Amino acid sequence: MTMFDVGRVCYKIAGRDAGKKGVIVEVLDVNYVVIDGATRRRKCNVKHLEPTDQVISVKHGSASEDIAKALGIPFTPKKAKQKKEQVKKAPKATVKKAATPAQKEKKA
Amino acid sequence: MPIPQLKSRTFRRVQRRTPGGKTVQHYHLRKPKQPHCGGCGAILHGIPHERPVIMRNIPKTMKRPERPYGGVLCSKCMRVAIVFKARQG
Repeated sequence: MTMFDVGRVCYKIAGRDAGKKGVIVEVLDVNYVVIDGATRRRKCNVKHLEPTDQVISVKHGSASEDIAKALGIPFTPKKAKQKKEQVKKAPKATVKKAATPAQKEKKA
Repeated sequence: MPIPQLKSRTFRRVQRRTPGGKTVQHYHLRKPKQPHCGGCGAILHGIPHERPVIMRNIPKTMKRPERPYGGVLCSKCMRVAIVFKARQG
């Protein structure tokens, strides 16, 4: 029995999302869990989590929206990346410089 | 003899060989020293230390790590600070 069970509210203490709250959604291993909440859904090492005394009833495979509600965090759905339409640039009209007599001599 | 302003220790002296074979002294401006952690004084990683004109042209994300207190605290001190905040509630 470890502290890191499904439903345990944790703070991330490492990485670019350090200081953010999350809930353990799934336990993968002795060392790894899947966390969701203020951070995006991701695998996380247990050493990078600081557990709190709060446990939320969370189903094994809950959606991110439900977890955000349970934690009391505003939920922002991920924007689908729109592929920018690549506009092909018309080739620039270049004027070829006529070879100067000096250059012509060099080539010869 | 160098001009008087080059005698200052803000310049560092570098010996250079000329194509003619002579060794001459060149005067180079010194780079700033590496940044240190605000908590423990350890040298911080991921932060370039260049003269201001170069630093101005480097984008912000390439000058510090992408984490809270990046560029201010080392990772160890940062964790201590975050854990303290988490335990407060």
